[in-house]
Amino acid sequence: MKSDIDYAALPFPIRDNIVAAQRRAWARLGAPGTWWDGPTRVAIAAEAREARTCKFCAERRSALSPFAVQGVHDCGGALPEAIVEVIHRVVTDQSRLTRAFYDTALENGVSDGEFVETVGVVVNVVAIDGFTRAIGLPNFALPDPKSGAPSRHRPSGAKTDRAWVPTVAPEDVTEAEAGLYGGLPGVNIHRAMSLVPDEVIGFFDLDAVMYLPPTQVRDFGTEYRDLTHAQIEFLAARVSAINQCVY
Amino acid sequence: MLLRASGQHTGDDYDLTNIHGLDDDIIPHAAALLAYADAFYADEPSDLDRARKTLHAAIGDAALVDAAAIVGIYDAVVRVADATGTPLEDYKAEISEDLREELGINDFPSARA
Repeated sequence: MKSDIDYAALPFPIRDNIVAAQRRAWARLGAPGTWWDGPTRVAIAAEAREARTCKFCAERRSALSPFAVQGVHDCGGALPEAIVEVIHRVVTDQSRLTRAFYDTALENGVSDGEFVETVGVVVNVVAIDGFTRAIGLPNFALPDPKSGAPSRHRPSGAKTDRAWVPTVAPEDVTEAEAGLYGGLPGVNIHRAMSLVPDEVIGFFDLDAVMYLPPTQVRDFGTEYRDLTHAQIEFLAARVSAINQCVY
Repeated sequence: MLLRASGQHTGDDYDLTNIHGLDDDIIPHAAALLAYADAFYADEPSDLDRARKTLHAAIGDAALVDAAAIVGIYDAVVRVADATGTPLEDYKAEISEDLREELGINDFPSARA
């Protein structure tokens, strides 16, 4: 597997801004984060891939209730069980997650910041692997981890109100995380991972080129992509419906 | 719900039940787009290969890239929302109440969590 994001194997070009954003995401993935160091972030990414072929996840997903079957995850072995459970459920059974899933992760020793950063790493891998599969290529190799310590910055304005996880309202952003909502209106989906600002900044850097930047989403008078707004929203709605996601 | 807003802008009245599997000529290549999204989640990789080829022939290189990007990023966005317990904004829930009922969205597990 190649570790650089490179679409030269395709007979047609990929937009430069997609390649650039995915390369930035790959670089972030291997670097120290807020609560996890580089090797742990890469291990989380690898585990997100492992979840796709986990037999226990497959059994649980097909069960009427995720709690109806007991078992052990097929996993890489580099991460604590509680983190593996978070990763595998988010990848394979996200529509049936409940508040109890989050509370259990906390009871099992995962901090709220670690939980959010884990979700952040997972969704970056899901987005990029999903793109490569959708376009007809195998996954790229994960980046090499970089050394260094996580920043351990927790926004002072984080509060638990609308989501299970604490989030930072736009009016509660301080100088320490000033770039958190740069260009984003701070609606719920932007706030979801704001306990770890770098995960918001990183994910929506990718979202702006794979979907649309916020300023273009409702500008129906101009088409910014080769798909129309209607085609984009139709496809997005179908993906959300398949995933049984309300948002 | 932005699909409906997009239709309001262009004067098209989209049948939003299309997201559950019907075809509609108002959105160009709706059937091929739908088949592509469905095949992305199919167990058999050849389903996705077939759907991609059909869509590619219909919409061309650049639009196929857009479609792959939408599928990839939305497969991730739903996980951001569901993993963090992020609800739909009240105003969005209010204006889309009838539509969500009509489409069965209120029956999704994440709507009850």
